[in-house]
Amino acid sequence: MEFNLKIRSFRLRIALLSASLAGSALIGFGFASWLLIYKTKVDALDAEIKSQLLANITRPPRFDNTLHRSTALLVIDRDGETLYQSNNWPSDLNSTILCSPQSELNCQPFPLPLPRRQQRQFKIPNQLPPLPPPMKLSQVSTKQKYEEVWRIGVITSPYHRLIIAISLSEIEREMSVIRNVFSIAVPVVLILVAIVAWWLSGTALQPIRKVTTTIRGVTVKGLNQRIPMGTTDVEFIELIAVFNQMMERLERSFQQASRFGGDAAHELKTPLAILQGELELALQKAEPASQLQQSLSNLIDEVRRLSSIVRKLLLLSLADAGQMRLYQIDVNLSQILADLVEDIEILAPDLQVETNIAANLWVKSDKDLLIQIIQNLISNAIKYNVPSGWLRIDCQHKDNLVYLTVTNSSKDISPQDKERLFERFYRGDLSHNRQLEGTGLGLSLSREIARAHNGDLQLDDTLSGETAFTLKLGFPTPGTLTPTPLS
Amino acid sequence: MHILYIEDEAKIANFVCAGLKEQGFVVDYIDNGDEGYYRAMENQYDVIVLDIMLPGKDGLAILKGLRRAGHNSPVILLTARNELDNRLEGLNLGADDYLSKPFFVEELIARIHAVIRRISGERQNVLRVGSVALDRITREVTCNHQLVELTTREFNLLEYLMRSPGRVFTRTQILEHVWGYDFNPNTNLVDVCIQRLRKKIEKVAGDSWIDSVRGVGYSFRQSEKICDI
Repeated sequence: MEFNLKIRSFRLRIALLSASLAGSALIGFGFASWLLIYKTKVDALDAEIKSQLLANITRPPRFDNTLHRSTALLVIDRDGETLYQSNNWPSDLNSTILCSPQSELNCQPFPLPLPRRQQRQFKIPNQLPPLPPPMKLSQVSTKQKYEEVWRIGVITSPYHRLIIAISLSEIEREMSVIRNVFSIAVPVVLILVAIVAWWLSGTALQPIRKVTTTIRGVTVKGLNQRIPMGTTDVEFIELIAVFNQMMERLERSFQQASRFGGDAAHELKTPLAILQGELELALQKAEPASQLQQSLSNLIDEVRRLSSIVRKLLLLSLADAGQMRLYQIDVNLSQILADLVEDIEILAPDLQVETNIAANLWVKSDKDLLIQIIQNLISNAIKYNVPSGWLRIDCQHKDNLVYLTVTNSSKDISPQDKERLFERFYRGDLSHNRQLEGTGLGLSLSREIARAHNGDLQLDDTLSGETAFTLKLGFPTPGTLTPTPLS
Repeated sequence: MHILYIEDEAKIANFVCAGLKEQGFVVDYIDNGDEGYYRAMENQYDVIVLDIMLPGKDGLAILKGLRRAGHNSPVILLTARNELDNRLEGLNLGADDYLSKPFFVEELIARIHAVIRRISGERQNVLRVGSVALDRITREVTCNHQLVELTTREFNLLEYLMRSPGRVFTRTQILEHVWGYDFNPNTNLVDVCIQRLRKKIEKVAGDSWIDSVRGVGYSFRQSEKICDI
């Protein structure tokens, strides 16, 4: 389990699992067949030993010339005297076979002598098989001596004991060839299996990847997208159905939430229009500079502020629903900035203003909304400045993007404020300062507008004592610039 | 000047009609889409002011029907709906202008004038109040035939005030319209700009023509004769 947890890739896991399954099966079969071959060969050898023993006990051994090169022969009599020892008899076998009491070969007692009639008869012709058998076939076992393994057979007649040992070296040689073949073939096959398994698991995951791509498209295009079920494999239909259901639920609740904001804002507009219209009518009719006219003008300003909030809420709810429609035209950002810089000099004459604005920076954007972002940034930079502070505006074009950075001297923003700066209606510590007007919607809306333009707005990391916001917008390629029909 | 005004919200119609009549327009006010459509098809109005949300035929349907029938009376759309969507659709359907609620009647009047000017071959591009004349096309301001050099902002400010002489504008209203600030950064901006503008006009005309209304804002002095309308 822990192993599974470590490998996070499903594909890798599937590949490894099938490779190891195939591998262990392969190794198992290989080992089993190797054993079988070995056993068969040894059995054949044993049979050979037995037949030789039988052949040699019933007649005087025809030494050497009939024996295979790897076959050694030893004959001893009842007293343990060596009657014959072939040249290739490994001498160190003697001690194990003959002397050691533990040797199972040795503990075989000589059978009782046959009746006298047969006592001297060395050769018993045509006695195959003898009845009762005049000899016993011994256990056959192996003894390891030096590098060689011998298969040893012992047969004991009443008069002598015949021992045949055959070296296993030849079998070992053959087996080692087979082992070598296996040890090369198995890894090769294993690697092949792993490659095929990797490929197979990749193929198996192909539909998942297809679904993922579709889902990615869905999230980009909006919650109203569904994955088409048409050509999908049967196994994935349920997944897609469940996903589509989830999207539907999400869309519904999201629409409800965002429509509420939009509807509320919309419903507020009509009463605001009436309020504003009536106030305006009354303002114009009131006696100039009278107390009444002053009150009415204050009321109008408040109504305008209210409708500005309503408008922003409406825009935000549209942005949330992914329906912020932009009337994008080619806008001369440099010109807009130049105009606004002029305002700064009036708005904050004490402020030291520095500009670094590239000429003729055009962006494709909704002009009114773009101006709103920049006004928001600049007025924040003025509002949250320090006495006799400074303000710097950089606007440059880099890698098909336009970067507008507004930097100003300020008090440090606390880390928690930094995180919440773009939240709606959040105004930070400074909101306690009643003199600073604002709704707390500006930054949040500005960011939404920037994102609706496929750009972004973010707070930069700066030195202590200054604050900087950067607006990033797409720079239109020269060919796409079109004359503006309407502004 | 005959205007058809179709709007279902009586309270809004109330002050809009009052404002329009004050400017000398003849207003036919209809409160539902079906009758409004019928009226628009029957008569040739100089301008049709059309609310989008209406009982019966809605504003966009009326506009579509009119354009299909070959009526080319200029149409100004009014809406409280989500602005850009309807604006784009409305303009595509052949609307001449678009105004989003809440709006100032003064703004509507200015739009009506603008639309009429456009239709009538842009003959009346010069606003003339008292001794000040402002050309919207060449963007030149002259006082007693002497050119007054103005910045873009100053020109826009003067044009805004001169559109409705005698009308009082609050600082916020000016800020919103001339600068496009939909919040109040500091009304200082308006005061400073008004001061500069006054100085420039005064230098040539001997009089600034811009009155301060204490505690309220500013207005352009109404002369006896308004050449624009």
